[in-house]
Formats: sequence, structure tokens, C-alpha cells
Amino acid sequence: MTIHGLWVISKAGGLVFSRSYSDILPPQPVNTILTLAGILHGIHAITAKLTPTPIPGVPVGGLESFEAEGWGGKVFLTPTGTKFVLLHSIPQTGLDDLMKRIYEIYSDAVMKNPFHTPEMPINSSLFETKLQTLMSGVNA
Amino acid sequence: MSQAIGYSTTPPAGSSRFSSTSLYSTSQNPSSSTINNNPNPNRRESARSSIVPIQQQLFGGSTTQQQGNVNILDRSINKTKNAEIALSTWAFLFAEVISYSQSRSDSIADLEKRLSTLGYDVGQRILSLILLRNTQTSNLKDPKREHRLIPILQFVHTQIYKYVFGKPADGLERSSEAEDEYMLILNESPLSQFISVPKDMSDLSCESFTAGLVEGVLDGLEVPARVTAHWVGDQYPDHPQRTVILIKLDQKVMDREESLGK
Repeated sequence: MTIHGLWVISKAGGLVFSRSYSDILPPQPVNTILTLAGILHGIHAITAKLTPTPIPGVPVGGLESFEAEGWGGKVFLTPTGTKFVLLHSIPQTGLDDLMKRIYEIYSDAVMKNPFHTPEMPINSSLFETKLQTLMSGVNA
Repeated sequence: MSQAIGYSTTPPAGSSRFSSTSLYSTSQNPSSSTINNNPNPNRRESARSSIVPIQQQLFGGSTTQQQGNVNILDRSINKTKNAEIALSTWAFLFAEVISYSQSRSDSIADLEKRLSTLGYDVGQRILSLILLRNTQTSNLKDPKREHRLIPILQFVHTQIYKYVFGKPADGLERSSEAEDEYMLILNESPLSQFISVPKDMSDLSCESFTAGLVEGVLDGLEVPARVTAHWVGDQYPDHPQRTVILIKLDQKVMDREESLGK
């Protein structure tokens, strides 16, 4: 029941934030993570186009989660096109709540920061500190 | 299209700064938005000719609108005493103020000076409002204010901070090196709690807005001083956002205190 890592992908598909919170998954070089994030963005876009007749009133979403052996990922799409990808161990409960809290921290620490350029890599120490507190609370 | 301050619809796909830029375009005086919404008498000068609906709404009276819509200068001052707006509204507005000032200033010192000037205007208005409300609640005929230095500093420390931030400051200290320096300490400022300064601008403190506010209040109380804000969060790991407002009093204040003192 641990969170392995968090990626934040911008509207255009570029990775703006990535951090790992446990040692289970092997560390990847930054370029690999950038490529993986781009692939995930593409898959998400394809799955969004392939959904069957949408329910009126519900926004069309794409890929929501994927699973491998022992770990999985959950994708949360915001109304503005930003994607939060949470890598977690299986089984894990309370993921929706966790994603909402991450989104809350993002909108507080990043969106209200005048020194952050939208769609650019996030380097806000406040964001990282708050995420660290949240993750250590979950991983403990 | 209603453009009243504090209400604007945000399109879901747009940038999250939309609400703050539309707020800023209707009033040239961003210092009018404190945590408690004060009516700003200077709005008349800042209304532009293209925003005719605003002028009608503020000064046109009640031609086609409901009875209760009094223009802003006739409203009772105590009407907004306990009014609240969302903290996020302030956060976005302040973030836009900072990036607006940043694009027009060349250096960190200039940016701090701009924020300080904005805070100064707010401080002057807050002082008059608080003194008026104190007089009204205690039913005195003449306004009452402190004259001596220490009660004045305590007034700023408790009452002004309580009005602006909702709680008194965390500490008021006198500097041990110089007699005319005092420090107001705030562990976690609600005004700039969402802002994290990048490493290459680590000298900047967005609390210079608060410093300007304190300077405006002190100037109104006849205590001229130079007020600056400094971030000391790295020396106190418990409170990483701790800021110190440094008040350096003018020499004539110290002389006056001496002659009044003993």
C-alpha cells in the first residue's frame, strides 16, 4: 500500500513534474520518464477519441488506470487538460480522495504562484513540501 | 454582463488567471481588495469610459434596478463590516498584481518598492476605518488614538493585524542592536501563503505589501518610519514561511519619545 511516484503532464503532453516516493520501482533517467509521459499522453488522447457514444452532460475522458504485476497507475484528468498520473502498489484504497487532495495542493501552490509560468516545469518548493507531507502520511 | 467586483464567471478551458485579470481591469486600484471587502472611494477616478455599465451601477442610482441597489458612496460603512470573500479570489488577484509589477520593474528592490506603495494606500484607509469603528463601538464623541510609541506598536500588533489577517501578529520585538528598530513577526502570512519565490530571487519578499501596509498605518499615526520585510524561514525550520517586518523609526520619533517620556 505505497505510492511509488507522481507525474504531472501538461495540456500539450510535456512532463512538468515527476517525483518518486518509494524505492520499489527502479529509478529511471529523466529522458526515459519524459518519453513515457509523452506516450501516456498519446494513449490518453487515443482512448478519449475511441469511447463509445458519450453520456450527454458527462465530459469525455480517456485512459483512467492501468495495471501491471504488483503495481498500477491511475490517471486523473482536470477540466483544463492537465493530467496527474499516480503510480501505486496494488491493492490500494482511497485513490480518488488522494488524487483530489493532490489536485488541491496543485491549485494552491502552483496556480496561485505568480512566479510559475503555465505549461512550464514546476519548481515550487511549497508544492514539493506539501506533497511530501501528504505522501509520507499515506506511505507510513 | 455583470462586472461587479468579486464575481466573474471563469471559462473552464481558460487559464486560471482569468478571474484575476478581469478583476484588475475594472479597478486601477488593486489595493481595494483586502480580506474584508472595503468600499473604495477612489473608484470614480479609475472608471474608464468604455465601462459605462459600471458607472451606471455605481452612480446611476436606481433607474431600472431594484430598490436596494444604492450607489457605493452612500452605503453605510458598517454594512461590510463582516463581509467575506473567498481566499482564492485574493490569492489570484495578488498573484496578478505581483506579475504585473514584475513586468514593469527592473530589479527586486523596485518590485518591493511597488508592492510597498500599494500596501501604503491600503494601510492609510484601514487606519481611518478602524479608528472610526472603534469610536463608534465605544460611543465616544471624539476619536481616540494612542500617542506614545509602545502603545502605538501594540495597536498595530493586535488590532490592525487582527483586522487584516484575522489574528494578532506572532511577536513584537525590539531589536537588540539598535534602539530605534522594532520587529513584527508573522509565522505564516495568509496574504502570501501560496507564493514560493524561485531561487534566483531569494531576496524578494512579497510581504513588502504588508510592510507598506504597516508603514501607511504608522504614518497616519504620526510615527514616520522605514518599514521593510524580510524572510527568515530558513533559520526556523518549524516555520518555513516566517517573515519579519522590520520597522526602523525616524530620529524625530525617538527624540519625541524622550521628551515625552521622563
